[in-house]
Amino acid sequence: MGKPTGFKEYKRQTPSDRDPALRILDWEELHTHMPTEELQTQGARCMNCGVPFCHTGEMIANMAAGCPVNNLIPEWNDLIYNNRWKEALDRLHKTNNFPEFTGRVCPAPCEGSCVLGIIEPPVTIKNIECSIIDHGFEQGWVNPEIPETRTDKTVAIVGSGPAGLAAAAQLNKAGHTVTVYERADRIGGLLMYGIPNMKLDKKKIVERRVALLKEAGINFLTNTEIGKDIQADELKEKFDAVILCTGATRPRDLPIPGRELKGVHFAMEFLHANTKSLLDSNLEDGNYINAKNKNVIVIGGGDTGNDCLGTSLRHGCKSLVNFEIVPQPPNERTDNNPWPQWPKVFRVDYGHEESATKFGEDPREFEISTVEFLDDGNGNLKGLKACKVDWSKPQKGGAPFSPVEGSEITYDADLVLLAMGFLGPESPVAEQLGVELDPRSNYKAEHEHFTTNVEGVFAAGDCRRGQSLIVWAINEGRGVARECDRFLMKETSLP
Amino acid sequence: MENGDSKRSAIKQVASGRFGVTSWYLTNADEIQIKISQGAKPGEGGELPGAKVNKVIASVRHSTPGVGLISPPPHHDIYSIEDLAQLIFDLKNANPSARISVKLVSEVGVGTIAAGVAKGHADNILIAGASGGTGASPLTSIKHAGLPWELGIAETHQTLVMNDLRSRVRLQTDGQLKTGRDVAIACMLGAEEFGFATAPLITLGCIMMRKCHLNTCPVGIATQDEELRKKFKGKPEHVVNYLFMVAEECRTYMTELGFRTIEEMVGRCDMLEIDDAVDHWKAQGIDLTATLTPARKPHENVDVFCTIDQDHGLDEVLDNMLIEKSQKAIQKAEPVKIETEIQNIDRAFGTMLSHHVSKNNGSEGLPDNTIQIKCKGSAGQSLGAWLAHGITIEVEGDANDYVGKGLSGGRVIVYPDRNATFPAEENIITGNVALYGAIAGEVYFRGRAAERFCVRNSGAIAVVEGVGDHGCEYMTGGRAVILGPTGRNFAAGMSGGIAYVYDPEDQLLGNCNLELVELESVEELEDISELKEMVESHSNYTKSEVAKRILDNWHDELPHFTKVIPIDYKRALKELAEEQKSAK
Repeated sequence: MGKPTGFKEYKRQTPSDRDPALRILDWEELHTHMPTEELQTQGARCMNCGVPFCHTGEMIANMAAGCPVNNLIPEWNDLIYNNRWKEALDRLHKTNNFPEFTGRVCPAPCEGSCVLGIIEPPVTIKNIECSIIDHGFEQGWVNPEIPETRTDKTVAIVGSGPAGLAAAAQLNKAGHTVTVYERADRIGGLLMYGIPNMKLDKKKIVERRVALLKEAGINFLTNTEIGKDIQADELKEKFDAVILCTGATRPRDLPIPGRELKGVHFAMEFLHANTKSLLDSNLEDGNYINAKNKNVIVIGGGDTGNDCLGTSLRHGCKSLVNFEIVPQPPNERTDNNPWPQWPKVFRVDYGHEESATKFGEDPREFEISTVEFLDDGNGNLKGLKACKVDWSKPQKGGAPFSPVEGSEITYDADLVLLAMGFLGPESPVAEQLGVELDPRSNYKAEHEHFTTNVEGVFAAGDCRRGQSLIVWAINEGRGVARECDRFLMKETSLP
Repeated sequence: MENGDSKRSAIKQVASGRFGVTSWYLTNADEIQIKISQGAKPGEGGELPGAKVNKVIASVRHSTPGVGLISPPPHHDIYSIEDLAQLIFDLKNANPSARISVKLVSEVGVGTIAAGVAKGHADNILIAGASGGTGASPLTSIKHAGLPWELGIAETHQTLVMNDLRSRVRLQTDGQLKTGRDVAIACMLGAEEFGFATAPLITLGCIMMRKCHLNTCPVGIATQDEELRKKFKGKPEHVVNYLFMVAEECRTYMTELGFRTIEEMVGRCDMLEIDDAVDHWKAQGIDLTATLTPARKPHENVDVFCTIDQDHGLDEVLDNMLIEKSQKAIQKAEPVKIETEIQNIDRAFGTMLSHHVSKNNGSEGLPDNTIQIKCKGSAGQSLGAWLAHGITIEVEGDANDYVGKGLSGGRVIVYPDRNATFPAEENIITGNVALYGAIAGEVYFRGRAAERFCVRNSGAIAVVEGVGDHGCEYMTGGRAVILGPTGRNFAAGMSGGIAYVYDPEDQLLGNCNLELVELESVEELEDISELKEMVESHSNYTKSEVAKRILDNWHDELPHFTKVIPIDYKRALKELAEEQKSAK
């Protein structure tokens, strides 16, 4: 809080993203930066609250309120206002290994719980975070953290998503020799193949960080699937500790008639192949599911669904519809969703904005459920049948909604993408190691402890927690590193 | 107000600074609380930096915008328990229908103090705990000072019961009470009234920003900023709802314990026990036996909660006669003249009359000199305390301590017996702490005053012929003309107002505390005419020989006057004058 009256004097401002009509013509990032002076006034809006919530990372009503990695937000807001970028960067790196990722793709629960949000639009925390780290890279302040001394301990990390990378970075910092195994051909997990390039640039952002980690001394092995290429117990014998960060990769399916038709895909198949082809050959090798000139329906209204919209648009789809089973959220918080809870309000994300620009209207249909996929006679998808649902009439012992009679409607569709969330980790590794699962089929380990029932085997990230945010993955990666270090050395100084 | 709300707050506090404590202020109260100390910062005064004293705040506090204000740590009119009893009596006179409450803090020995306060006829005793009211306290005090209310209330209750004083006072406690459980415990330790502040504030939208001191409260509570006040979303219903729930929770504890009423529960600490499950290393050395010992009754018929009203003795005060004779003035503003004898048991003379004047005529009082009272004899303590505008009290004889305390526009004149043979200017005519917290009005003493003259004067004009130590301390406004010697530590902490000291022997420099003020000769034309006018009034009202001598030789005597003016005050006056000039 460089300026006590800052919040009264300045309005919230974020840099405008690139023009949607233009940005759908390429795969470059949509994010831009704002001039330093303007950013400083945004930092001045922070009120240095007596009781801030932005950094708390509490779960309230099952939703994150405040930053799950406990970023020291009021501190760096103040430092930015005072033009002290290097110190701001140091403060940021204290709690967050990868601010350039969260600064771009985090939904920012910090802003949802920002105290200023009670009376005015909250401080632009996420944008300030992104600017600090980008500025740091520009200035050459971000360098590999090579440990001064090495222990003789070795750790294997299975999975190179944000949790695995955070754990690797922390353990390496503590001097352990870390090897990260990744079954895909590139490091990054969902950061690499889950999130499309326009939201998080692969070469400029993700690989830049991976290169730093390599320089710091972490070994990365790609195209190596544990449980297949290397047996899990072999890994356990070879290393002093094993950390599972495999993610929650089993997608939720939609078992209705016609599911087997050609043209019905899981969102992750679509997104993964697209990014791989883009990076390999700039989409020239044709090894991806092309939405060009197709009628596309994306089922599921989360971030993944939205990424499917953006990707389909960039392919040049003919039409685009997004199904969402829940009702349209209100424009403002309702009484049962008070600050500092995560605000459940209607949002327009980049894919929605782009669809609206191209087709003239928001692509979302609310309170709609798919009943059947329609066959064109040759095993190809030609459309689907859906019906409206009523949330005021829950079914006894079943779904919390019921179909509205006579509301059936048919859509033309050549491509349907299922983005309905994830159920849990794939389990071969756990089976081979004898790791217990919890009732939700995640690897069983307690948050803050991260130890499984097998000694020396830890679990963190989505494979332990279930599908969640990148910041939670970083939180868990850091936590598991701390606990693993404690296990290896009997004490730890990792945060 | 338009929507039916009232701006009048039921409980009015009287703190050491006495800022804005006028007859009108006290008249509009259901309870008047003497704040001896605060739970969060026991023993500390307060300081309001000049930058925060804007026009609104300055007008409420009757001070100058832009000039810092200091609240002294002690009440300068309370140096003993008898002084406190006197203040309770004065305030009771200033508003007979209000309860007088005394706020103490939890500390070792508070029981003994409370016993004295009960004997001093307080209606209510509040024991404040350490964790309350932290908004404006220094961080060091918040962290390190004060004790929990549990200890204080237990000791106070036990001491009062043991001395059969408990039945005469209501015991109240506060300091982060939040739940029905807190209420039940406080009650069983001896309280029958409970204060809440933080929690109700939070129901109104307080988010504990800890920016109460910066005028930037984003939810519009602790701010005078119009824009921010629009953000206030609280409703009275929120507080009502909260307190209902506290009461409901308290009832569940009462049913569990088998109590039907709060009275039954007061002081039943035998129903409390230590929670063995609290296993904290800090708790290991704590022995709560004394706290949880039920109060010992000296005999069977001792009540353990308030059953008897205090006897303040208001029926016997001389003011009853004054009020009766002044009805024409109070009702119709017709001039009234009263003559009476006075003796030193007639305390707070004119105070209850002022209460009636304020009640009927508002903060402005009556036109000048509407009620003229002339008395002969020795006036008791607190002569003309909170004397309202329009009342003039003339005393031929002498006066005791606290003359013109909280003076609210009235005029007090004291001169020796016309037949006295001693030289008036060499003898003391009034006691200590004259004009403490005076807001407006005039006082003329033909003779010397004792110590602490004009302490915390906010705007009254006073002429006297010599003062003891600590004259004009913490003064923030008004004028003091001293036609004789001053004691040590003159003008300490003085941040406003002007003192003109007649100092032919050049002693002032040695006696003056120069931390905040500077001395200069009286040269400005405005100053000279102002001074001369005051000396002339003094001469007219009191027939002072000193005044006459000075006026007769005005040109020769003027250079013997020294003007004592606070540096900041001088700057603020200059700014104000410039502002007015540019406004024209």
